[in-house]
This record gives sequence, structure tokens and C-alpha cells, in this order.
Amino acid sequence: MAVGDRVREHQELVEVQTDKAVVVIPCPAAGVIAELCAPTGHRLAVGEVLVVIEPDGDGAGAPAPATATEPLQSAPVPAAPVTAPRAAGRPLAAPATRRRARELGVDLAIVAASGPQGRILREDVERAAAASAPAGAAPPADPAAPGAAVAPPSAPSVPARPTAAPSRPGDVVRLRGVRRAIAQTLTRAWHEIPHIIDYREVDAGRLIEARDALRRRATERGQEELARALTPTPLIAAAAVRALADHPYVNASIDMEREEIALHRQVHLGVATATPDGLMVPVVADADRRSVGELALEIAALARAARERRLEPGQLRGATFTVNNFGGLGVWLGTPIIQPPQVANLGIGAIRDRVVPVGGEPRVRPVCALSVSGDHRVLDGDTLGAFVSRVVTLLEEPLQIFKDLS
Amino acid sequence: MVVGELAESADLLVLGGGPGGYVAAIRAAQLGRRVTLVDEAGPEGLGGVCLQVGCIPSKALIELAATAERVRGMGDMGLEVEGVRVSLERFQAWRERLCLGLAGSVGRLLSAGNVTVVHGRARFNRPDRVAVRTAEGQARFFEFEQAIVATGSRPVELPQLPFDGERVLDSTGALALAEVPSSMAVVGAGYIGLELGTAFAKLGTRVTVVEALERVLPSVDASLTAPVVRRLRARGVDLRLASTAERLEGGQLVVRDGDGEHSVAAERVVVAVGRVPNTDDLGLDAAGVPVGPDGLVPVGDDLRATGRVAAIGDVVAGPALAHKASAEGVVAAEALSGRPAAFDPAAIPAVIFTDPEIGTAGLSEAEARADGIDARSATFPLAASGRAATLGATAGFTRLVVDAAVDRVVGLHVVGPHASELVAGATLAIELMASPEDLAATIHPHPTMSESVHEAAELLLGHPIHAAGAAAPR
Repeated sequence: MAVGDRVREHQELVEVQTDKAVVVIPCPAAGVIAELCAPTGHRLAVGEVLVVIEPDGDGAGAPAPATATEPLQSAPVPAAPVTAPRAAGRPLAAPATRRRARELGVDLAIVAASGPQGRILREDVERAAAASAPAGAAPPADPAAPGAAVAPPSAPSVPARPTAAPSRPGDVVRLRGVRRAIAQTLTRAWHEIPHIIDYREVDAGRLIEARDALRRRATERGQEELARALTPTPLIAAAAVRALADHPYVNASIDMEREEIALHRQVHLGVATATPDGLMVPVVADADRRSVGELALEIAALARAARERRLEPGQLRGATFTVNNFGGLGVWLGTPIIQPPQVANLGIGAIRDRVVPVGGEPRVRPVCALSVSGDHRVLDGDTLGAFVSRVVTLLEEPLQIFKDLS
Repeated sequence: MVVGELAESADLLVLGGGPGGYVAAIRAAQLGRRVTLVDEAGPEGLGGVCLQVGCIPSKALIELAATAERVRGMGDMGLEVEGVRVSLERFQAWRERLCLGLAGSVGRLLSAGNVTVVHGRARFNRPDRVAVRTAEGQARFFEFEQAIVATGSRPVELPQLPFDGERVLDSTGALALAEVPSSMAVVGAGYIGLELGTAFAKLGTRVTVVEALERVLPSVDASLTAPVVRRLRARGVDLRLASTAERLEGGQLVVRDGDGEHSVAAERVVVAVGRVPNTDDLGLDAAGVPVGPDGLVPVGDDLRATGRVAAIGDVVAGPALAHKASAEGVVAAEALSGRPAAFDPAAIPAVIFTDPEIGTAGLSEAEARADGIDARSATFPLAASGRAATLGATAGFTRLVVDAAVDRVVGLHVVGPHASELVAGATLAIELMASPEDLAATIHPHPTMSESVHEAAELLLGHPIHAAGAAAPR
């Protein structure tokens, strides 16, 4: 939509993404768009004006230019669904409507009401459910949103919101919201991408020492938040980001229609995060320009925002490479699934004490298993393997990570 | 823990067989759950405080007292009676049959759902396990998938007036009296204290009500209490506000107010100063269930306290009312069974069986304003109600509160005869977001008290039929 465009009443006007869903708002009046009050991707509070529509004056057809001469005839559209005039407190919906909304996973606060004075009818809820794209999903033009996923052999499933309560045999759970986005994205990923997976064991002894040293330093400086954020994930992510610099085909995307491989200059790092709504992959932009500490804080902040449903659409888009720590779930080796159009996904398994030969003697060492998936259309065993070898070297000699990144 | 104790398995374990617990158990059984319900009082005590020593027996006593008083007072209307006597001894025998019968009905409903009822006292000793001390003194262990805590509440004791089951009674003791006492001091002018005090006053007891606050019934809008206070005073009830009960001295209760100490006659003392949740001796710690300093269990909309334990009724926040507990029981059973369920009523009605009765649903005008609602109200006086006139009870009013911004009913407040029967309809109007016009255009039957709701709506719209010159809508 642009200024000057002619719109019909009830025409689909705009997609609004809320914390939990994407909702299509129909146009409330026929006319010509006089003003777009917010650019795409901008965040608006409920009640703010989104667009001003000049009603059709004559039947002449030519859109009247948006001038300040007739502002009073403009019909402002509230940024989110019309609960106006707003009833104080809660959305106006009868008990059966509220129940239907829960069943469909629809947040009544964002349902466009068609009843008198903002009353939400059952049909409104059903319409909203039908129109709602999955939460966290990007618009179709940008498929990079819900992100790479992993299907470890025994990972516990993360239930989507409508099924947050344990389902029982015999129940039918509707595929909605984030769960639906995950289902759609992963179906495409699994069908489209020929996965090859490189499994490696890494001696994590020095990595843990380095982590402990960083933590100590943070604690001594009173940086409690940083100390907490310094888990193995940011360190391994930092190693991967460093390694990507030398392996451009791993930080790439593939477009089969144009028959092109795009090699990215920056690393935008997706971090797979379990949330109450399901798996989400918030993105650390420009990860290659951040220190380990910045990376740790950013990953912790994004994970928290994801769990609290505070992510903005922009924070879910544009990843060029993804890391996924499923070790926390107890998984040893996983099967990371690549999120198109990315071409790799690095899975981090649990760090466990294992008996390994060191200098011909059995020793107990902390060992971390990495499983790195690559898109075989772009990467072969040797190119992927070279990247993974570099990551392993960096993890076993972690000083190199900081040399380059901090 | 004893090594080797054998645990029985329970799919869904419900602790407490009151109006929260038994409803939750039945709903869960309907959803295909295997339910075990543990209640301290066993099969004969099902129904909890409400059925055994609360709502049901108190309403029975109130009915008896009110009927006795009305019969004596209908001489003007032509009812000539002599020698109306009340036997509380016979009442108690009847009450026992009533409660046993109702508990039996609850038991049959539970067994129809294949709910196993265990007679004993349950305590969590692990996140997935309770120990039950049975009535026979044995220990049984249940390992549960999920549990619902519905253990209710008990009366608060005053340190200076400990319950002794003889002189100093809680509401349970008062309802079990087999003789009408000559005098009674009721400590606490909440709804339990006022209901009991009113009933005994009607039975001929000299009643003194002692309340620490400046007003009675602090849970309801002050304007609703005026007709109740007038009737209490007219009946000779000694209402001592801003007063505290100090101690017993012989046959008297010593009461302190701003002027010093006074003695009031008190053959019996009934302490009704509130209730505390039964959460202190449940081992909730062991179940990982947090308990607030007020004894309440914090829960989400789906009434879960943890992933596997839900809590309902008097042990969670909100009014300690049977119907609220039952509604929560349904939600908890559904939520734990994987249904999308939430406790989110627009209004929880409340009824108080004083004389006249008080019934409320939704917000008072002051509460609505505090919530930022553009609130208007209209008050229809029962003096203009034909049905109230035939009942000989025209004190009181029906007040409708609306949200003017969206033209919907947000509250109904009634003080008058049968007020308790009027609020269900109002609660429906609130839930369905009816406008005052909807109410005014809905035909209400004549001659009933429900017409007052219709009249209040007409009044609010500015065209009352039966209240010429009545207060215009504010």
C-alpha cells in the first residue's frame, strides 16, 4: 500500500504482527490512502493511527491528492483492531466466545470486533483464527523467520501455545500459531534441503577453563549479568562466527530459482530458543562485529525476550547461520535441520565427562559433541568438514577466539 | 521416607471433597480421567464446609428463623397463629438428615464417574506423591500424575477467645446449637456473623454484634448495608462498631470501644472474623507448590500452581465462595486434561442472607470508576415494587451500573427480599454484555422482584414507568 492507492471497504489492508500472531486488518472504509503513519516493520501501540483514508468524494475515479484541506473527513484507522470505544479492562466477549478464542489460540486483545461498540462476536474470533499467520513467522516474502530447527533423536517436544497443557490420547489439537509456522517451515526445509551432517567430538576442557576465567573476571568487575550469560553457547557461537570468516560458503544462502549462491559479508546469527510457544530463532545481527561478552549478553537478552513473547518481527529475520544448543535438553548428538535459505546449522550437544585417550592413557575429559548440518547443494563433505575442523580447533585453543573477537 | 512403602497410582488426585473438589473430580471423570478424591471427612462428609457446616445448614437455619418470624408477624394480613415454637433440637435432627442426604447424593455422583473416594488426611511428601493418613490410622501412599488442591479454609481463631466448642463457637458450632441461647455475642460483622446474628435474633436470642471496623459487611458497597443495619437495630440487635472483643468475664463478653470497656450478655460467643486457607499442613513445600504469606497458593489463569498441581477455591485468591470454587474446579480439571481453559469470569456474584438479603454481581459504581469506566447508575426503590409490597418488605432497592462508553451492564446490586435470586440474571447480562436497552426491552414477569431490574434499566434510560420523579440517572 502506498499513499494515493485506492482501497475498498473490507479489503485486506495491512498485516499487523502482535506479540502472538499476525493479523490481517480489513479496510474500514472505501477511499484513497492519504497518509501512511508508520513504515512497514514499525511498532505501534494500540490506539495509535496507522493510516489515514480520504473517503471518496465524487465518483470521478481519480484519487484526490492527500491534502491538508480536508483533514476532518479523514478516517483514521486505529493501529490495532478496533476495540474502540475501548471498554476499560478486558476485551468485550461473552463466555462462549472467550472459550472459542482459547481453543483457537486467538488473543482477544487483537481481534477486530464487529459487534456493537467493540463487542467481539464468535465469528470475529473464528475470522481472526483463519486469518492469523503463525506467531513469529515472517511475511511470505521473507521465509527466514521461525528459523532453523533441530530434531534431535530424543528431544522433548516443545508444545505450542494452544497445547501448553499436556494433551492426552484422544485429544485433537489444532495446528495454530508458532506450531503451525514450525510445521510449515520444517516441512519445506526437510523436503528441499539435502542434509549432510558432520559429527565431531571436542575436548571441551579448555573451553570450560576459558569460560570460568571470563566468568570470574565478570564477577570481579561486578558484571553479574554477564557472568550469568557466559554459558558455553556464546563461546561456541563465537568460535563458529570466527570460523565463518574463512569459510564463506557456510555463511551463505542458496536461491534455486535464480540459480545463485549468495555469500554474505556479515554474520547474522540465529540462536534456536525453546519458548512456551514453541521453537523460535531470534537473530543476533552483525555477530561478527561483537565481542564474546557482547554476544553472550545479546544471546541471553534475546532468549529472555523470546520466552516472554517480547520479540519484534525484525529480531526473527535475516539469519545467515544458526546455532542450536540442545545439550541443555540432555541431547548428545542431534540432527540440526537447516532453515532455508541458510545452508548450515551448528548443533551443540551436552558437555559430558568421558574417558578418552590422552597421550595413549585413558583420561576423563569433558567432551562436547557437535553436529553440524550442511546443505549438500552448496557444501560438500570436505568444505563442511573444513569449517567444522576450524571450529573444533578454535574450541580446543579458545584463546584464538578472543584474539580475533574481543 | 520409609523405604519400601508401596504407592498406589492415581491419574488425577483431588484433595478435598467440597464444592471445588467434587466438581473438579466429576468434570475430570467426564474427560476420561481416573480420579481419586481424598477427603478428611470421608464419604459422609462430602460437600465440604459448604454442604456440611456452611451454606446449606446456615440457609436452613435462616429459613426456619425467618419463617417463624414472618408467621408471627402476619397478623395484619390475617394470619392468626398461636404458640409458634421453634425446636432447635428437632431442627438439628432434620439438618443431620438433610446434610447426610446431600452428601450421599454427592457420593453417588462421584461413584457414577468411577471416582475413588479415600477417607483420610493427605499430605504431599514428594512432587508426585501424597501420604494419606486414613481414618483407621493407616498410611496409604498415592503417586499421582496430576493433583488439584481444594482443601478449603477454616475459621480464624481469636487468641483472646479460643474456640472451646461450648461457650466460644465458630460458625460450625453456632449452626449445631440444639437450644436457642438467651443471649449471643457475635464477633465480626462480615456476612457469616450477620447471617447468624440475624437468624438467632429472629429466634429470640438477644444478639450483640461486635465489629472492629466502623461499618458492617466491608465486602459490599456501603450504601447496600443501610437497610440491613436499620432492620438489625429495629429488631433490637446491639450493633457495636469500632469495638473489639476483649475477654469473657462470667456470663459477659467484655467489649472495648473508644469510651472504654463494656460488658455485653453472652451465653454464647460466636467468633466469625474471617477464614484462613487450609494450606499450612499439606506439605505443599514437598510438592514444589509455593504458598504466599496469606496462605494462598499463587496460580495462573488455568489455576495451575506448577506443571502438575492446580489449586482452586478458598486456597487461591478471590472471594471464598462455593460457586467460585466450583467454577474453578471445572477450569482446573479441563486445564489439567489438556483443554484450553481459563478462569476469567466477567463477574462473580455474591449473596448475603441478611434481612433484607443482599445480592451483588459485577462492579459497584465506585469500583467501576476506579477501573476507569465511565460508569452511570440508576437505583429503583423497592417501595415502588408491587411484589415487595405483597411481601410486606419494601425496604431496599435495585441498582444497575452501566459502562456508558460501550453501553453495557457492568453491575447489579440489590438489597431486598429474594435479592439472592436476582443476581444470576444480572450476571448473565454482564457476561453477555447486555445494554440497559436490552434489559429494558426484555419482558420481566409480573409480579416478581425481577421487575425491579427492568425498572432500573428504564430508569437509567430516562423513561421509568413505575418511578415517577425517582432519581434521574447519574
